[in-house]
Amino acid sequence: MMVHMSITVNYHQADNCVDIIIIGSFDFSLFNEFKDAYADFIGQKLSFSVDMSQVEYLDSAALGMLLSMKNSLGDECEIELKGANDFIRNILMISRFDKRFTIR
Amino acid sequence: MKLLCVDSEPIYREIVSVCAKGHGLDVKTATTFQEAIDLFEDWEPDLVTLDVLVKGGNGLVLIRELKLKANGRFVPMIFLSSQSSDSTMEKCFSAGADDFLPKPFQEALFNTRIESHKRQIMLVQEMSQKNRELVYYKAMIEREHKMAHQVLDHVLIRCENTDHNVAVTRLSAASFNGDLALVNSRSDGARLIFVGDFTGHGLSASIGALPVAQAFFDAVDDHIEISKLASHINRMLISILPDYMFCAAYIVLIKPGGHLFFWGGGMPKAYIRRQDGRLDYLQSMHMPLGILGPSEFDNTLGEFSIAAEDTLVIATDGVSELKNEAGEMLGAESLEALVSACYANADLNQAQEDLKNKLSQYQGHSEQIDDITFVAVRKKVTENKR
Repeated sequence: MMVHMSITVNYHQADNCVDIIIIGSFDFSLFNEFKDAYADFIGQKLSFSVDMSQVEYLDSAALGMLLSMKNSLGDECEIELKGANDFIRNILMISRFDKRFTIR
Repeated sequence: MKLLCVDSEPIYREIVSVCAKGHGLDVKTATTFQEAIDLFEDWEPDLVTLDVLVKGGNGLVLIRELKLKANGRFVPMIFLSSQSSDSTMEKCFSAGADDFLPKPFQEALFNTRIESHKRQIMLVQEMSQKNRELVYYKAMIEREHKMAHQVLDHVLIRCENTDHNVAVTRLSAASFNGDLALVNSRSDGARLIFVGDFTGHGLSASIGALPVAQAFFDAVDDHIEISKLASHINRMLISILPDYMFCAAYIVLIKPGGHLFFWGGGMPKAYIRRQDGRLDYLQSMHMPLGILGPSEFDNTLGEFSIAAEDTLVIATDGVSELKNEAGEMLGAESLEALVSACYANADLNQAQEDLKNKLSQYQGHSEQIDDITFVAVRKKVTENKR
């Protein structure tokens, strides 16, 4: 089996929050892996953060994956997108992701 | 997994059979040269043991024949022989042997070698299976990309491409990424423009394009307001696309008097190049089409006025993200400078060609990753004004 190092999931039980850290290119190649990262937490009242401080590139497929995450977790779950560089932040803002996510 | 044991002595056929069966192998035995050839052809074993001495022939000739008949298939062949001098072993290996075990038969050695050959066979089989799958999927994806292009080419036939006030340029990468550019005139002289960028690649990206194009042409025929058209396309895409797919787009209407209305979602800035080279910006104010439900969807429009000498330029993000040989993106600022300079030309098609050349110069020999699309439109000049 190949070892994937591009997504790391940390569950902080004390704070009821899940950190998903993505490294490298956030694109269609992570489709299944990204889904798996939050699949186990669906239906639980947790807050989520997607750490993009180590993401170099993000494409529209990744935007779709984030929307799908929001849909799966439901409106009551807050999802924070944090650490995006200027290029990625600009992509998020052009698509008005601030309407669905907390962008820090 | 199947093992063919070629040996003229019954006792060896017996021992090899028993041991190999203990490793889960199916075994058939051959006593003579011809029997070995026939069984190899009919039964297609995965592994062969043979002796240097074979009734009706020679083991060195036999292995050459069998390797030929294997025709590229990976079939390890192991000599089991009492003739184990260096020179004989050398002849065996140069004839194509993969292994050599001396007689008398040593069970422990045989067992170890069989296991190691089995592992190798499984790896090779797995690899060629994976390889077949890859070849299959590659062919399938290429076919899908072709289909997507064909489907969209068909859609684009109805678009205006002969009008000297409209220029649409699509530079396709090997992989189709879902850009859609539609321009058409209404019977009242107003011009409707849709420039969109679907998420995804290949056929899946083109699935949304067909109904969008249909809605666009209906809106041209029936003079549907663009705020309604935006809501309609949004609703439609929500119902047909999975939640991870959407369409970033500008929908623009230019009235004959020069009034310009637009809805924009998820697209980079578009430009109105004024006659003096200055740029005004159309900004996307909304989320892309196909994300927000009808109650949340915002169909608020932006407005501008456009004169006959002005040029509306809409480019998908592939243009500003175009990379040069050093891997640097063109960027919005450089694109703006190019737009400002190129569209000074009074001939729109020449201006468009000029921009296309400038982009291709910037790109050099670097590989284009996305499709890129840019559309330039000038207001129709009414006949009496000319």
